[in-house]
Amino acid sequence: MRRPEAMLDEAGGALAASLASGLTRRSFLGRVGGALLGVVGGSAVAAAVRPDEAEAFHFCGHIWTTGSCPTPYTLPRIDRRGYPIRPKDARPIDNLGRLVDANGFPITEGGQRMTGPDGNPLPRGPRTRVCEDWVPERFGIDAVTQGSWYRCCGGQIRKLVDCCSRSRRRINGDASLVGYCYTGRRVFCVMYYDTGLPC
Amino acid sequence: MIETITPAVCGSRRRRRIALIIFALAAVASAALVGVALGTLGLLLGGTAAIAAAAVIAGLAALRELGVVRFPLPQSRRQVPQWWHARLPLPVWSAGYGAGLGAGFFTFQPVATFWVACAAAVALGRPLAAGACFALYGVGRAAMVVAPARREPEVTAAVERLARLRPALVRANGLVLAACAVTLAVAPAAGAGGMKLGPTGLNLDPTASKKVFAHTSGAKADAQVIVRPPGAPPIPFAGSSPSLHGALLAYEEGPDVRIVRWATGEEVARMPDASKPQLRWPWLAFRRDMDGGRKYLRLKNMKTGQARLVARVGPNADLGRPALHRGRLAWHTAGPKGSRIVLYGLDSRRKRIVVQTKIALLANPALGGPNIAWTEQRRTGSKLFVNRIGTKRIRQIARTKQGNRVFWTTALDNDFAYVTRWFVPERTARINKIRI
Repeated sequence: MRRPEAMLDEAGGALAASLASGLTRRSFLGRVGGALLGVVGGSAVAAAVRPDEAEAFHFCGHIWTTGSCPTPYTLPRIDRRGYPIRPKDARPIDNLGRLVDANGFPITEGGQRMTGPDGNPLPRGPRTRVCEDWVPERFGIDAVTQGSWYRCCGGQIRKLVDCCSRSRRRINGDASLVGYCYTGRRVFCVMYYDTGLPC
Repeated sequence: MIETITPAVCGSRRRRRIALIIFALAAVASAALVGVALGTLGLLLGGTAAIAAAAVIAGLAALRELGVVRFPLPQSRRQVPQWWHARLPLPVWSAGYGAGLGAGFFTFQPVATFWVACAAAVALGRPLAAGACFALYGVGRAAMVVAPARREPEVTAAVERLARLRPALVRANGLVLAACAVTLAVAPAAGAGGMKLGPTGLNLDPTASKKVFAHTSGAKADAQVIVRPPGAPPIPFAGSSPSLHGALLAYEEGPDVRIVRWATGEEVARMPDASKPQLRWPWLAFRRDMDGGRKYLRLKNMKTGQARLVARVGPNADLGRPALHRGRLAWHTAGPKGSRIVLYGLDSRRKRIVVQTKIALLANPALGGPNIAWTEQRRTGSKLFVNRIGTKRIRQIARTKQGNRVFWTTALDNDFAYVTRWFVPERTARINKIRI
């Protein structure tokens, strides 16, 4: 008798593979499948996504024209909850681009608490979500993270995420596209999350 | 073109006067709008780069006018459309002529002064002031049409008389432009320079009261408060985070806040377990750190003992150095969810959020005169803003363009803003003094 978790993993893998292969850009199952893939297992995703070099517009995997969401750095890399991280190494950063520890305090590259000119440790700075907090404040619109798609980039699976709003203009300044957004929203800007799963 | 506006062309002297009035108004309005636009551009650009550019342009213009260098000026050598006065109604063509000449860009430029004025308007960064200055250009344009017409019947004769003075005028213009170049070149140093302080390379926490200035020099165990009365040697106190009010000085000494007469060192009062003092005798505002990481901002009347809790934050947030002036208390709160500058009325006991953001770090407010100032820090640099309390206009008066050049603590008096400029990699800090 196989262990329950192995059976679950096998079933989930089969489901994930079938969902991934059936993806279309406007597929409702694609949206649901995206969420399930993350839950069921990374190996299923790796099997479904061909390890081609994805075409890149301004970052790998982004094959359309919508611009990046505003972040402390140029590349709009986020963690799984939508908070900014440093693009080159995925270390968490605050809104000022400072590395932060698990408690949100600014730290140096070596991990020590940063101190101010008075010699005292610096307090926490703002660290807010790129789509739900930065975009509304910068552009005066409401925005939520909605659709996503996956590409193989640098040997690992990248999840590209649409930040969606009801605005008819996107961050580029021209007309926004529907993309993977739904319930009447359109793509305002894009972000990405690197899963680390090999492809 | 000016000979176009004559009684013969206009149909009568009365219509000519109307044409001249409309021409003059349009010239002044057009010139003022150009000034406003340039001033707005300068406001958006900010910084001292525009001032430096204006100084360079003025210098080059001076050399050109004095004959040292030769280069063509950007200009349009076209005449105003002659057919306008034949086909368009008088108000339209006279306004059109006035607007075209008042704008300056669409006409012949005999000297470079107009372009220096444009650069200076951008450097000024104040739309209304730039508009007012440029309106004078429109007045000059209109005067060239109106004044000679009043004195003599043949306007071109007046212009030709003026043209004979050209060599002397050009030389005088060159000398004036050279003086402008020098003035603009020293302006940033005069207006926004780093103050020569000491004794260490780490100078922060400015405070000013009645021409007396004080600051912290050094950090932690080496920190000293230095009081600098004008014309007298500096007076040091072992401590940090000073606040001056007239003859009194409040500052952190160990875990307490001490209030002394800075001239004699006599202790007037002491507040235990307090930090970040702000003194407006008899009121003392200070922060008290509580158990569990909570921070309280308290206000105490040092004469009567009356005390009140003004604000508090939890362990995840920071409560900054307060500012106290003319019955108002300001402070910042900052944490992972954002930051804000808060203003509190001592009499009304009402709080008002002056500005808040979920993105940047707003911090270190200062109160002085009718104004409040604060810093804004982002990854790309810091900015210093000033707002006249009770109005909505917020003015940026300084900025840094690098993330490792951070604005820290601030102070304000009626004429100047003081801001600590922290050089992060070098671990030094100096205080800049900026005219507001």
